[in-house]
Amino acid sequence: MQGLASYVLRRLLWAPLILFVVSAATFALGRYAPVDYVRIQAGARAQPETIERIRDERGLNDPFYEQYGRYIWNFLQGDFGQSVRYRGVDVQDVILPRLWVTVQYNALVLLLTFAIGIPIGTWAALKRGTWLDPFAIGVFLLFASVPVLVTIPILQWLLAVKLGWLPSGGWDVHEFFGVEIGVLSKRIVLPLLVMTLPGVAGLARYMRAQVLEVLDQDYVRTARAKGLQEFTVVTRHVVRNAFLPIITILGFELAGLLAGSIFVETLLSIPGIGAYAFESINSRDYDSIMAIVLIGAAAFISATLLVDVTYAFIDPRIRLGGQAR
Amino acid sequence: MQTRRLVLVLTGIAVATIVVIGVLVVVLVAGGGDSKGSSGTPKESPGTQTPSLPERVQGELRLVGGDPITLDPACASDVASAEYIVEIYSGLVSFDKDLKMVPDIAQSWDVSPDGTVYTFHLRSNALFHDSSRRVTAADFKFSMERALNPRTQSTVGEVYLDDIVGAKEFINGKAKEVSGIKAKDDNTLEITIDQPKPYFLDKLTYPTAYVVDRNQVGDSTCFKGTDWTRNPNATGPFKLKEWALGERIELEPNSNYYLDPKPSLARVTYVLSGSPLIMYENNEVDISPVGINDIERIRDPNEPLHAQFVESDSLNTFYIGFNVKKPPFDDPNVRKALAMATDKELLASNILKALVVPAKGILPPNMPGYNAGLQGLPYDPDQALQLLDQAGGPNVLKDAVLLTSGQGATAGPILDALTAMWKENLKLGFDIQIQAEEFGLFLRDLDEGSFQMFDLGWVADYPDPQNFLDIKLHSSSANNETNYANPQVDSLLEQARTEKDQDRRIKLYQQAEELIVQDSPWIPLYHGKSNALIKPYVHGYTLTPFVIPNLRYVSLSR
Repeated sequence: MQGLASYVLRRLLWAPLILFVVSAATFALGRYAPVDYVRIQAGARAQPETIERIRDERGLNDPFYEQYGRYIWNFLQGDFGQSVRYRGVDVQDVILPRLWVTVQYNALVLLLTFAIGIPIGTWAALKRGTWLDPFAIGVFLLFASVPVLVTIPILQWLLAVKLGWLPSGGWDVHEFFGVEIGVLSKRIVLPLLVMTLPGVAGLARYMRAQVLEVLDQDYVRTARAKGLQEFTVVTRHVVRNAFLPIITILGFELAGLLAGSIFVETLLSIPGIGAYAFESINSRDYDSIMAIVLIGAAAFISATLLVDVTYAFIDPRIRLGGQAR
Repeated sequence: MQTRRLVLVLTGIAVATIVVIGVLVVVLVAGGGDSKGSSGTPKESPGTQTPSLPERVQGELRLVGGDPITLDPACASDVASAEYIVEIYSGLVSFDKDLKMVPDIAQSWDVSPDGTVYTFHLRSNALFHDSSRRVTAADFKFSMERALNPRTQSTVGEVYLDDIVGAKEFINGKAKEVSGIKAKDDNTLEITIDQPKPYFLDKLTYPTAYVVDRNQVGDSTCFKGTDWTRNPNATGPFKLKEWALGERIELEPNSNYYLDPKPSLARVTYVLSGSPLIMYENNEVDISPVGINDIERIRDPNEPLHAQFVESDSLNTFYIGFNVKKPPFDDPNVRKALAMATDKELLASNILKALVVPAKGILPPNMPGYNAGLQGLPYDPDQALQLLDQAGGPNVLKDAVLLTSGQGATAGPILDALTAMWKENLKLGFDIQIQAEEFGLFLRDLDEGSFQMFDLGWVADYPDPQNFLDIKLHSSSANNETNYANPQVDSLLEQARTEKDQDRRIKLYQQAEELIVQDSPWIPLYHGKSNALIKPYVHGYTLTPFVIPNLRYVSLSR
């Protein structure tokens, strides 16, 4: 495990550098993009001199390195800036509640995707050669092939307007010990449906491939030769081993979900981070954009690191960093 | 083996599709039969039984609202923010729901004979929401100076208040206070303006002139220290109870409110996101606007919702603007040719499904000075062709680009219809190009004059022709994107600014409008209307043509 410790340390040392590069790039994109928030918010009824004066006072006319330096200096002191979309509200006060919303239902989606995708994939692999295998995969592929931009309005119309079973969107919260929980409302059903169904296809197909590979392994043959029950063979020997590589896609699955959140949240009016990212870019809410990008990058870095570390723990065949043996 | 697999995958997809479509059809048929069978009962009855809708308070009005940028009256430049500010805060004067100028915190006012000194007599029973104290003239002086102060970084302060004597000196840092605003005593506020401007009172109805609690706002600016706007201590008919960013805004009535009628609603909840019509049909909101995609269904008399539909004029004008300094539109004949090749009737009735009225001139109906007899440039393809020939034939339009603000893949049905009309009526043989830009970029290009033609709308801030003609088409106005400059028009507009005789003033504006329409820096296309579905138990809700406080007139019966 000594190799592991130094590996983790090396990865952690890289993290600030990656974040620094990401922040500089994002900051530059924002500042060099044409038009700033002062101009946009002033709208059609604006006096050019007033706009220029406000730009000067807010430091938007300073050279890039000064503005970036100021941002980083404040950032290191824990001041992430203020939103301009919600004038003067501290960025963390706008973003954290939204992040919590997105994390809640995305975690649920991830859980459901695995809960459905793993059995389906395994089952499809075991039914290889029969019509059931491609059929099951095909059904979920359909959902994966239709963009959420199409499924959402259809489901809204069907489940909310026609059948009246569900609200058309939105987000309700219940408070438990001061924590706002939104996933206990039936408004959660629509986002779960539109995000889980397409997610299952990818996972199930991956799982299916893994199971097929494992089924050909000698130890499975041995297990069967020993006369073990098929159920035991599948759960003990097949699924457990096939499951390992699946962990690696967890991080990417999470990143994919976050990207999908932009559409889902905008269309279903869920006040999460995805909808806010889109809005921030349109309104040039510089500090909000920076915070969202940095949170996303940090989440991705830690997710991949966590996956790699877990992987090393559960599969001794993996040797990180090419050391040892 | 491979083909077999593929066939089976496709079969799986096909079966799933059939199942999905089957479910849709069943629901559709069943749903259709249902609504026919129960046409006697209102369609919302199944919905109202759903008990799980967010706990509805007795006397609660639920609306769809825009997500505001700020609730600081000194800083608000957008309609979404103003919508709440006018209910929470108040000023010296306001418009009632019939658009009549009425006293608000100022009980009455006198105007000096030369029309430049306004003396406001404040009522003594106007309290701040927390009942701690009454509003005094000093509060108004503080609030208006705060809106003008460059430290506050407001984009609108000087737009609405720079007629006041001393405002410019104050903004430039040459004066410590605005000399034209004097608090004579607690009850008396005297405001001196630079010229006798009959529309000055109108400008005071805008939030920049509203009163804020100086003990609360401190030295906050539009961008920093804005925490107090989450819980403002103001003077309007409603108090802000909660503002959950991006989710909802809740107002509750101000029991100390000083005007009649006092608010009768127990609570007003604005939902800040979602699809309004779907929420309305689902009984999640009580009032919803209707968009162009649903308008035909709602207009159908057989539609149960039809009886809940109301429409009303708005004070706005949508137009095509030309850059009159740049070829090819520096030639008035080219502009006129396009104008006369535009069938506005067809556009309004067919493309916009009569959601709008076709525009002949610049001013919208219901605006004082609206000239019902104005002919404008008629739809006349033959003359349009002649004009274009005089200007050099279709080729002058070869490189013309119509700039629009939008992000979609197409420019939308209105611009598509326009370019089709021009192509056909002017026998161009090519389409006039449309360039869509993100709103920010669009604004920048208008500022810089780097465009040939564009489409835009202008919405009234207050019902006075000055708000359209002078601000948009006077040669020295910052908001004149077209660069249009006609000395004769300028002089008419300048005379109208200070003309005290209302009839003469209107005449001057109408003369100016006539000249402008003939010069065609704009093709006025249409005037929008506002519309809404209103649940039958909501009473007293009016669609106002621009943002004015009107919730205190609303009551519920259920």
